[in-house]
Amino acid sequence: MGGTARGGPPAIVARDFGFRYARAAEAALEGVDLELEPGGCLLVLGPSGSGKSTFALAVAGLLGGDVPGLVAGSLRVDEADAGVVFQDPDRQVVMERVADDVAFGLESRAWSLPAMRARVPEALSDAGLAGYEAHLTATLSGGQRQRLALAGALAPRPGLLVLDEPTANLDPAGARAFVERLAAVRAARAATIVLVEHRVDLVWRLADRLLVLGRDGRPIASGPPGAVVARHGARLVTEGVWLPAAVERQLGVAVDHSAQPSAVGAGPPVVAASGLAFAYERGRPVLLDVDLHVAAGERVALVGQNGSGKSTLARLLVGLLRPTAGRVDLLGDAPHRLAPADLAARAGLVFQDPERQFLATRVADEIALGLTSADRARAAPTLEALGLPLASFGARSPYQLSGGEQRRLSLACILVREPRLLVLDEPTFGQDRLAVDGLLALLRDRAAAGTAILAATHDERFVAAFASRVLELHAGRLVAERAP
Amino acid sequence: MIAIAPLEAAQSRSLLGRTNPLVKLGLAALWLVGFVVTPRVGPPLALAAAALVAALLLGRVPPVSVLRGLAPLWTAAIGIAFFTALFSAANTDPAARVVLALGALRVTDGAVADGILLGARVVAIAAVSVAFARSTSPTALVDALVQQARLSDRFAYGALAAYQAVPRLSLDLAALREARRLRGLRGDWHPRLLVALLVLAVRHAERLGLAMDARGFGRGPRSHFRPRAWGPLDLVVGLGGVALLGAVLAWA
Repeated sequence: MGGTARGGPPAIVARDFGFRYARAAEAALEGVDLELEPGGCLLVLGPSGSGKSTFALAVAGLLGGDVPGLVAGSLRVDEADAGVVFQDPDRQVVMERVADDVAFGLESRAWSLPAMRARVPEALSDAGLAGYEAHLTATLSGGQRQRLALAGALAPRPGLLVLDEPTANLDPAGARAFVERLAAVRAARAATIVLVEHRVDLVWRLADRLLVLGRDGRPIASGPPGAVVARHGARLVTEGVWLPAAVERQLGVAVDHSAQPSAVGAGPPVVAASGLAFAYERGRPVLLDVDLHVAAGERVALVGQNGSGKSTLARLLVGLLRPTAGRVDLLGDAPHRLAPADLAARAGLVFQDPERQFLATRVADEIALGLTSADRARAAPTLEALGLPLASFGARSPYQLSGGEQRRLSLACILVREPRLLVLDEPTFGQDRLAVDGLLALLRDRAAAGTAILAATHDERFVAAFASRVLELHAGRLVAERAP
Repeated sequence: MIAIAPLEAAQSRSLLGRTNPLVKLGLAALWLVGFVVTPRVGPPLALAAAALVAALLLGRVPPVSVLRGLAPLWTAAIGIAFFTALFSAANTDPAARVVLALGALRVTDGAVADGILLGARVVAIAAVSVAFARSTSPTALVDALVQQARLSDRFAYGALAAYQAVPRLSLDLAALREARRLRGLRGDWHPRLLVALLVLAVRHAERLGLAMDARGFGRGPRSHFRPRAWGPLDLVVGLGGVALLGAVLAWA
């Protein structure tokens, strides 16, 4: 797509580059050799914990000073001034108002006032937010806030743009809108781009080069996408690297998308809602008139845009919220009235952000928290099954695990109770292919054993592989019910 | 006391909203000194009334927002007045007039006066704080602190980031409580929640700090997108506030 990279000496040269975080036993990144031409786009792929983010931080010049650790080899980046977009839209907005936030990076570089006043609307328009200058940043959607971060990164006209999983928290429409803007930046060839991204289907066409990192932080492959796939395709799949669906078909390794549909209401009903409505503030309903039921053994996917009410519905079904109108029936009772111990035995919710679910300082205490003596015997095997054996993980802090490990621990803390209803909020966020395959196998087993499972998700691939039924929410109403 | 909510456009454009935050901050401090040095009940109550009228009329603050801001501190004021009256040293004076006797407990008129004075001061502090907070956007305060009070960038923007993280903390706490309920644990509160909340706050600060540094924060002198200058309004409000304080103290 559009144009070729500019000529001239390479913008990024890495020679046997590596990095070990202070106090870490092993290097996060090792032996990276790479050259990237100015204006080129490098797509960095790899499983969880392979050092992708470390590489992105290094290129952006944020390692060493802000993040203490030991550098090996050399990394030469032509542009001292990089624009950076991180994963979480909530953790990079600095100012209250949109225009002020875009100007923040310009103020840091001491731009003159007239230059800033001219540049801010341009950068907003490039990010698809023209006219949003006076809006409050807190009122933007997640997708808009992420494009605001892009505007802030682009405003100083950096020669280098570094993006670390920029669409990971966005719904499919938000992700597409973001990538569309990024594609325009790439087409203009004004900035060299280093992009870490799991949604390969969306960004594959942007990549001039790939850098694929393995689980040990060492590169598996590097080069133009076609050549890398031709030479290393099979290995990438076994390492747990996401590849575009079309490439996987070509390699003959496409994931099995044929989740066996189960008849609706096959087993006895576990949870049902009728006329369900909820509002956090009076007169502003988040959910309206929702009727649904999930039977034992069903695997239901709940889809819909950010803000359509998925998380609220999940919380209502497991009794964390009290309906404003209508009712929820969980095995014969209204869940919000159940005593905590009774509720925990019947229903479990795995949060979108595992860190918000942790209450202990050691993994062993975290899993044991609130368990009855009968359930306690299951703690060790549950952790073992999720690849977190007590012997090696028991004494570690939940906060110091990798993102993938945190997700699995939060899942273990709920699964260990064997609840009859299991609700998951965005279970595949930031997960690599092997982790998602493991999760799918585990959920299928649970469903076969009679657990009713409902997963709120944006992940279209996961829906196809997981669901026996799909419910779609739009603006607080169930608008569609379909087979996957 | 200080509601964490962005200002409505009407509030930012109001007379008080356009006044330099440093002038308002200075006046608030001066008034606080004023009603602490006076031993009478009148001045703090008069100044509290003045602050509320200013917030409503000059600051265009919606009455609901004023009430919501005041509610917790006024409850505190009543409690403080009550307990001061109950346990004041004046109650031990055998010569003092007893207003109320409950068995061994005697409350004298001196103690009641102490209680009312202390309560009035807390009411006044609440009113002045609300008038300041609901007419001042955090951005304007940070701009004024950095550009006019020459406060360090790192401190001022750090405070702004912390201020904006407060709503997030309450969401974190709500999620942690839900996590407890889902583990079958009783009770809304446990010391463990505080540790978890602290960890989440520190991690949020780390990530936001990295994002700010990634946007060139702290690499050199900054320019200003919202330049601030002193204006005639600042002089008028400043002098008006000082004059009002003088008049109230003189009248008392």
